[in-house]
Amino acid sequence: MLRAFRTLLALAAIGLLVPAASAADKIRVVATIPDLKALTEEVGGKLVDVESLARGTQNAHELEIRPSLMLKLRRADLLIENGLELDSWAEVAVQGANNPNIVRGAPGRVDVSRGIQVLDVPSTRVDRSMGDVHPLGNPHYSLDPGMAPIITQNIVDALGRFAPDHRVEFEKNRQAFLARLDEAMARWERAMGPLKGAKVVVYHPQWIYLLNRFGLNQAATLEDRPGIPASPAHLTRVIRQMKEEQIKVIIVEPWNDLKLATRIADEAGAKAVVLASMVGGVKGADSYIAAIDHNVNALVTAMK
Amino acid sequence: MRALALIVISLCTALTPAVAAAQEAAELRKQIEQLQRQLQSVTDRLQRLEAQPPPPGPAPATPTVAPGAAAPAPAAAPLSAIDLARPRQPFSLYQQRGSGQLLFDIGVAGDFVGNITQKNVARAGGGTFAGQENRFFPREVELSLFGQIDPYASAVVRIEAGEEAPGQDTGVRLAEAYMTLLTLPFGTQARLGQMRNRYGWSNEIHEHDLPWVDRPNVMRNFFGPEGLQEKGLELTLVPDLPFYIEALAGIFNGDNETAFGRQTLQHPLVTGRLRTFFELGDEHAVMLGMSVASGQTGDRNRSTILGWEARYKYRPDGWLHPLITLTGEALYSLRKVDVGVDLDGDGAIDQVDKRQRNHGGYYAGLEVQPFRRWAGGVRYDWSQYPINPGWEWAIEPYVSFWPSEFLRFRLAYKHTDRSTQTRDAFNLNDASARKVDEILFQASFILGAHPAHPF
Repeated sequence: MLRAFRTLLALAAIGLLVPAASAADKIRVVATIPDLKALTEEVGGKLVDVESLARGTQNAHELEIRPSLMLKLRRADLLIENGLELDSWAEVAVQGANNPNIVRGAPGRVDVSRGIQVLDVPSTRVDRSMGDVHPLGNPHYSLDPGMAPIITQNIVDALGRFAPDHRVEFEKNRQAFLARLDEAMARWERAMGPLKGAKVVVYHPQWIYLLNRFGLNQAATLEDRPGIPASPAHLTRVIRQMKEEQIKVIIVEPWNDLKLATRIADEAGAKAVVLASMVGGVKGADSYIAAIDHNVNALVTAMK
Repeated sequence: MRALALIVISLCTALTPAVAAAQEAAELRKQIEQLQRQLQSVTDRLQRLEAQPPPPGPAPATPTVAPGAAAPAPAAAPLSAIDLARPRQPFSLYQQRGSGQLLFDIGVAGDFVGNITQKNVARAGGGTFAGQENRFFPREVELSLFGQIDPYASAVVRIEAGEEAPGQDTGVRLAEAYMTLLTLPFGTQARLGQMRNRYGWSNEIHEHDLPWVDRPNVMRNFFGPEGLQEKGLELTLVPDLPFYIEALAGIFNGDNETAFGRQTLQHPLVTGRLRTFFELGDEHAVMLGMSVASGQTGDRNRSTILGWEARYKYRPDGWLHPLITLTGEALYSLRKVDVGVDLDGDGAIDQVDKRQRNHGGYYAGLEVQPFRRWAGGVRYDWSQYPINPGWEWAIEPYVSFWPSEFLRFRLAYKHTDRSTQTRDAFNLNDASARKVDEILFQASFILGAHPAHPF
């Protein structure tokens, strides 16, 4: 027993003495969600080494805080957060990481929601009888490619503060990325143009930014209220509404119950389609533009 | 003529107030119209202000994507005059992004438990909730306040109330109050104040957050019903290694009377813990740890308790909850005790000898959660007692139901079997609690903020 303790203490002591390995010359960035990882990689290029705490297939609202997340944060120079209470779980991981660079209020803690025009901000009293509502507004702004310029500007500023010598390069990378995004945006708008004004049902109300961008309307949610599983009576109402309003699509997150959505869609004569709620959420959505590409193509195909 | 004059005078008298009333009504209408115009003006102004982007931060709000490619972000739904006129609720302080924002989080957790058991167990006080057998009561209602003190430290304060004996008023006490220094060098953090010690996996966890109705037998036998809670300082180190390891060292008063009880920093309770973690792919995760706590008892004898912990979770990819969770902890206590010796057989103690008592115990729990709202599991306990002879084992199957993330109900059955040598308060009032069967139930809620739980 004591020998084992001594061995582990010795390993810990070695850890203090050994300088950080290979990626020492890169800026070590941890993003809370894969979308921010992807955008940081676009901006930072070869100068950054980025990891994400959440995976694309997970529900970013509630993440299990594993010590492996603390390990990622232990060595981070910057922590890029989505903010608006989507990733407030990260605070528990930060407190277990013992890294003063990224504690709340430190320069290495970056909230990229600054400057975002937030939707669904409650204008009346909110409490949990309304479900798991976000008092600061809907936090899923990264699903709207039109928000990428603001997010990437925040990232450039954060990286530029940490490495002022490379600020020009970060800005150059950002402009190159935004040029590619421009081209893709024209393509997406052409594809989505005919769908303007169409109604869709969503499983969880996290698609409002994407829908607004392309002029689609959210008619109902499968969840009774955000985060509250649907009651049979609510689902019956949704099916009736879908039939009456001829709604063709239910949007489902990769982490949500596709079987239930498919059953509802079948009864309503519609299709359940899984969109990438984050980069990596579905196969092939392995970059920011690829994820939006997938979402646009899936919507267009389903609504034909 | 006189009559005509009288009629004219009467008409004038009658009509004067009517004319005056008409004038007042016109005036009133004018005032209402003016107020409506003012309200409309204020409404328009507020809508314009709310539609504006937030004050410029480091990020320019103007997208650099070509105008045709990226339409401006859609404006939030305009507020109606009724929305604007509606009185602001106190809760909306939380929504403000200005000087009125609450600078820390507040949460309330309520934990109510009940149990039904045999009469003899109740008489002997040998149930899981000793002295509270066959009752339903608030075990722990906890007010938590937590947040940043400044850029260098955070703080947690928990005030707890609960019924400790039948019919007694609900006592209120300070459960925890500590600050954490976050910006110390070399990957260290310090926590000082009154806290639940980070000893093993379950000791740190509050009653309402445990995966079972009750704390495992071995933890209650060796640290008391509340577990190890002390006042002092804990220092943690997370070295910069390719794998996760957390080392912890602590120094405390030693107030826990079940295990220590010397209550002075001149002979402090010292604690230590090493914890590591492995991920086997994205779906499997294992945490292993070892702990030690060493201090003096109230009668100045050395007491050292070693602990081991293991926890495994299997969470299929994309699931919101684990499918399988395995948890186990073991304790081994090395303790000197004073034993009175009757040398001459006259019934009187002639000398006090120091004897070594090395006792231990463990528990192992399995939980399966096939659905988001339902989980079922079983826990097996085996434990000796810190000083006295004998041992007990128990088995506790249970089922948990969550209507939402913030509300939970749990039902369990627990069978406890104690050995014949057992003396620890299980044969009181001419009653025996050697074999105990209990139905346990629990209702817990969370109101307001609650931090995420670590693995």
